[in-house]
Amino acid sequence: MNYEFDWSLLLEEPNWSWVIEGIANTIQLSLVAWGCALVLGVLIGAIRMSRSRTLRFIGTTYVEIFRNIPLLVQLFLWFFVFPLLLPDDLMRAWNRLDGVPFLTALIGLSLFTAARIAEQIRSGISSIPKGQFLAAYSTGLTEVQTFRHVIIPYAFRVMIPAIASEFLTIFKNSALTLTIGVAEVTGAAKTIEAYTFRGIEAYSAASLTYMLTTASVVIFMGWLEHALRIPGLIGKR
Amino acid sequence: MTLPLVQINNLSLRYGNFVALDDISIDFMPGTCVVICGPSGSGKSSLLRCVNRLEDFGTGDVIFDGQSLKSAHNISKIRSNIGMVFQHFELYPHLSVMNNITLAPRYVNGINRDEAEAKAHKLLERVGILDQANKYPDELSGGQQQRAAIARALALEPKLMLFDEPTSALDPEMISEVLQVMRDLARNGMTMLVVTHEMGFARDVADEVVFMDKGKVIERNASGKFFDNPQSDRAKEFIDRVLQKI
Amino acid sequence: MDFSVINDNIEFLMLGLMRSFQLAIFTIVLSLTIACFIAIGRVSSKRSIRYPSAIFVNLLRSNPLILIVFWFFFLVPLITGKTLPEFHTVLIAFVVFFAAYFAEIVRSGIQSVGSSQVKAALSTGLTYSQSMRLIVLPQALRNMLPALVTECVIVFQGTTIAYVIGMREFLHSTSLVAERTVRPVELYLFAALVYLVICFTGTRLALFLEKNKELAR
Repeated sequence: MNYEFDWSLLLEEPNWSWVIEGIANTIQLSLVAWGCALVLGVLIGAIRMSRSRTLRFIGTTYVEIFRNIPLLVQLFLWFFVFPLLLPDDLMRAWNRLDGVPFLTALIGLSLFTAARIAEQIRSGISSIPKGQFLAAYSTGLTEVQTFRHVIIPYAFRVMIPAIASEFLTIFKNSALTLTIGVAEVTGAAKTIEAYTFRGIEAYSAASLTYMLTTASVVIFMGWLEHALRIPGLIGKR
Repeated sequence: MTLPLVQINNLSLRYGNFVALDDISIDFMPGTCVVICGPSGSGKSSLLRCVNRLEDFGTGDVIFDGQSLKSAHNISKIRSNIGMVFQHFELYPHLSVMNNITLAPRYVNGINRDEAEAKAHKLLERVGILDQANKYPDELSGGQQQRAAIARALALEPKLMLFDEPTSALDPEMISEVLQVMRDLARNGMTMLVVTHEMGFARDVADEVVFMDKGKVIERNASGKFFDNPQSDRAKEFIDRVLQKI
Repeated sequence: MDFSVINDNIEFLMLGLMRSFQLAIFTIVLSLTIACFIAIGRVSSKRSIRYPSAIFVNLLRSNPLILIVFWFFFLVPLITGKTLPEFHTVLIAFVVFFAAYFAEIVRSGIQSVGSSQVKAALSTGLTYSQSMRLIVLPQALRNMLPALVTECVIVFQGTTIAYVIGMREFLHSTSLVAERTVRPVELYLFAALVYLVICFTGTRLALFLEKNKELAR
């Protein structure tokens, strides 16, 4: 293998701007999508535990559809198919929007991840021993009070690691949006490689972004676990 | 004439095809401590859970303190007058011992935090774990957890205490500290229904013993008589087996 | 909508689907084999083995698959000095990437069997390798089977990423036909349905195994 490293090329323009823009887009996209997925995921998770059979069916159908179609296919559906199914004037309005790729990526990532979060929520709640409900009811707490003071705080703490790791998943999955033209960090690295043939430097910049983010989230989780300090709860699973 | 505190009328309960309780009618008087025993699957725990309607019963009714549980609109209010202690403690793991105890008084009875904590303080002293108040359940030994759970049930000043195999999940050396707390309760006149295999407790502390098998009450007797001179063959057999094991 | 376009191109599409399956199956077999060694390395008592395995696993798990594929497309020609067929390059990238994920599953499977099981087995006179083979491994396998099946579904979903470097797997075949016939709606919906049916079957199997596992307890 003979390869001459030239790390300084990352600092040259336009490479530097591409990398910075890529990192900014990756972070922005993942954070917003994660927030949306969290809200939607909690909602669907709740629907799946409701007493109404119809609501439960809707929730389950959602989860099964969105987690069993590969994310890349879902992105293509939103990007290529969805606008074509809109009425003509809406479609024209959609195409005129700024940043259609980013918007499409946001929709695709959020809906995909919401299904995963809904599943985490359900398994989190069902991992709570039945005795916790009985104990709460036996002291006279109502169903709403039981959920509010006993079940949800418990489930929340059990699920923190899973929800944080969903952020890392969405962060990595956002790389797929380069296929629909989002200028995120992997796409930026690919572009630099294509122009300069400096793959190692370019891809290192992208890998470093992902690894540093992963490390920060892991460290943050360690801190959070310590801060919430409930012996024997987090990490028991 | 005193009225019974708990009156169970023609209560039946099934899980699918399995008959857990088969047309049970029995009363419990205030101030008595009654041990319910019998082989596993005999319906003891189901019966206990029907007394505060944690189990939705099929037919029949339970009258607690003059109120029908079946037609009760505010079951939560009734439950707050009945304390319950579980085999596996069921303390809330995300709350400290203190908060475990004060949760229901604050949210069910609307007592303010200071008052609830003052009362919890007394209860923890009574069960002998005042020094553990700010710890979390997982930091306590099994015996300490169960005593905390008893304090939690007592915090609502219940008229009746239900114990569902309170010592079955404990190491032998911790059983006596829990039984001691229960003994004190009985001595102070608390009405207690206790499902347990602790025959020593049944003989020494309980006023009466109820023996169940296959969802039916087979025998009910004063505890001394039950052990010395059981009426039914099945109870005799059960006592022989249990006492031999000890 | 006119779904006859799918019928007209079904052979071409199925060829792509076969390619996807091929990639998934080769990936699963090879990466699972490697994963077993890495997993044993992860629980080794020797630091010189444990640390490198941990670094390998964490390095790959913190990068997206698509970036790993790009890395290998750049590195493989550089190291070997020649261009390999794209299927081989993708396969290498996939095997390395998924070995890290499978290794974590195998590791937790091994760790799920308590050490007292080994002690119990040894106490009945079994040798160490006998107790591993007869006592620990069957339990570990049963415990990790649902997670393994779920990961296989993820591998299959992951094969769509080969689209990006132009390998003619199912998604790529679909997009080619979509472009040629200008019928993207029908084709992408069809592809989505095919993936849905296959992956749904897989996740149901995983669920069934999970339930079975609980019953066997």
